[in-house]
Amino acid sequence: MTARRHRLRRATTAELIKLRGLPAALAAMLATVVAGALFAAADPAGPAQAVPFLQIGPIVLGVLVVAAEYSGRQIATTLIAMPRRLVLLAGKAGAYLIAATATSVITIGGWLVPGRPAGRWTVIGAAAYLVLMGLLALGLTVLLRSLVLPLAGLLTLVLVVSPLLAGYTEHARWLPDQAGRALSQPHGDFTTGAAILLAWTASVAAAGTVAFLSRDA
Amino acid sequence: MLSISGLSKRHGSRTVLSDVTFHALPGRVTGFLGPNGAGKSSTLRILLGLDRATAGTALIDGRPYRELPDPLRTVGSMLDGSGAHRSRTARNHLAWVARAGGLPKRRVTEVLDQVGLAGSGRTRVGRFSLGMGQRLGLAAALLGNPAALVLDEPVNGLDPEGIRWIRGLLRAHADAGGTVLLSSHLMSEVAEIADDLVVIAGGRIAAAGPLDQVIAGHATLEEAFFALTADRSEQRC
Amino acid sequence: MLTFPRTLVAELRKTATLPGSLAALAVASVGPLGISLLNSMGVRNALRSGQPDLVAYTSAADAVFSAAPLGTVGAVVLGVIAVSSEYTANTPDAGGGRQITATLTATPSRLAVVAAKATVVALLVLATAAVTIPVCLGAANLVLGGLGTPADVGDTVARGVGAAVYWTLTALMVLAITVLTRNGIGPLIAGIVNSSLVSVSVLLSHVTPLAYYLPDLAGMRLFADDSIATFDGALDPIPGGLVMATWALGLLAISSVVFTRRDA
Repeated sequence: MTARRHRLRRATTAELIKLRGLPAALAAMLATVVAGALFAAADPAGPAQAVPFLQIGPIVLGVLVVAAEYSGRQIATTLIAMPRRLVLLAGKAGAYLIAATATSVITIGGWLVPGRPAGRWTVIGAAAYLVLMGLLALGLTVLLRSLVLPLAGLLTLVLVVSPLLAGYTEHARWLPDQAGRALSQPHGDFTTGAAILLAWTASVAAAGTVAFLSRDA
Repeated sequence: MLSISGLSKRHGSRTVLSDVTFHALPGRVTGFLGPNGAGKSSTLRILLGLDRATAGTALIDGRPYRELPDPLRTVGSMLDGSGAHRSRTARNHLAWVARAGGLPKRRVTEVLDQVGLAGSGRTRVGRFSLGMGQRLGLAAALLGNPAALVLDEPVNGLDPEGIRWIRGLLRAHADAGGTVLLSSHLMSEVAEIADDLVVIAGGRIAAAGPLDQVIAGHATLEEAFFALTADRSEQRC
Repeated sequence: MLTFPRTLVAELRKTATLPGSLAALAVASVGPLGISLLNSMGVRNALRSGQPDLVAYTSAADAVFSAAPLGTVGAVVLGVIAVSSEYTANTPDAGGGRQITATLTATPSRLAVVAAKATVVALLVLATAAVTIPVCLGAANLVLGGLGTPADVGDTVARGVGAAVYWTLTALMVLAITVLTRNGIGPLIAGIVNSSLVSVSVLLSHVTPLAYYLPDLAGMRLFADDSIATFDGALDPIPGGLVMATWALGLLAISSVVFTRRDA
């Protein structure tokens, strides 16, 4: 058991070093933080208006940490260095969670400045929403092994399709972003929203994990 | 010791490997020779736990790669080129590999030095020439000071000086008791360096044994190679 | 210039055979059709149940044109990959061969390459629009039967042409930007964000009316009317379309100059 925990820690730090070496990932994190500061300055009432834009950052980050493996043949090096695939995936998710949580907390932090009217729960909810959307993107990319497909697909879903559907059917509330949006809204149904978003993230992550464990590199 | 036994691999209806069996022994350089598409890379990928065999086993000191407690200290490997993302620096690439393998950070500087990339550690891999990428791949293989080396086409893209250097490196490794398995389609290269030879064609082993035994009856390794692989293609027809 | 037709055919073949291009065109056709159908079913149900105030509009045309942003997404993806595929390393390792080398040795005139790429992308997007928009209108009318508010035919045709022009100009803009960046991620993200009705330009329009001269907002009225997007200061279709076309041509001009001058 301790050997396993040891390996997991190694995998997580290795993945963090990897992330640090990807200029595009660093740019996505920086851009999210800067955008968050601008939104907080322009609209101090709360992060709800800004979240549809801010989620682009963690989605790009989640896609990139996996897609970078497949844009060349780095995946071979990765699997040779970390042959236990479950440990590797856990390490990747761990490194993403550390980077995305830090980014999201700093991004959303602008609304927590004393004297700002935003409720603490909407701020925490918004940060959690950002982290989970990126985790969904990460899982989807493990499944699809591509950059353009999950990136274009998810951005189109959350920015174009979901707002269109939300206007015309109440079933749109089952979409991950519509459900999760409740986390950042003052009077949203926090529990249901969180449950639906978590269910999406968990099922996509499970599908990605099964595919990753069973297929050839 | 690297032991491949009864290895088969099918992609759908296409048979890539059938009943491949051979060993690579400590203290020897084993050349793995075959035409393009003969199954060299598939065999090495299964040996390194990247792909799954349909049947058979590929073991390193009696264990599958995925179950090695300390893979990078046991086998150093390189499959086509650097295996690094274009936008990373060489140093960042080696740093994460070292961390993943639980190797001390100083090894990064040491191997960069050893492969002649000491001055290029901060260069992005996308700016490397083919030969420099190859050297970076070798650096990653050497990180863990492993007893066995598994290298796919290691001289590909190296300049004459680099080829001479790697020849010396592999010879010294085997002489010190290490195991070396290298694949190549460059006959003269293999003849120069290998102690043992495994010839694969059409996914089957055509010949295996000490170099002089495999060549026996032919003037050169090249002639032996064409005789052995031609048999195989006729059988396939 | 005598060789231009040859370059054009080569680029057409190259772009049309990329799996990504086909996927992009599929998004631009199936996407709007799907959303048009969902929208018109929503309108039909609202009208049948006697609650027209549940929906923002009641005509088949509005049900179709509110789905146009998905066509824009398809156009964005096509515009990006027509260029970014040239710069994807085919041997992923050090150095790495890129198709752009083969392209420029086959057609040394850089201007011809950009012109041919732009022409091909424009033709593919226009052809997709020419099929998709009438099919969507037909489908929406079928779903609504006689229930929907009848729309003026001339007006609907003008909006159809406007949507096709909007898709094409968007594709050309992201194509030009990708020529500049030589990497698809940035243009892809920017293009999709600005295809949506929650675009950055809409946000900026709260700050300054100059935002209405940004390409995506300037061209919005080409297909959108007040029931889809109400922007008080937005430009009228013709001047707005011209502003958007100026952006597209300007970006193409800049990228052609840069592409001609820099090393491949």
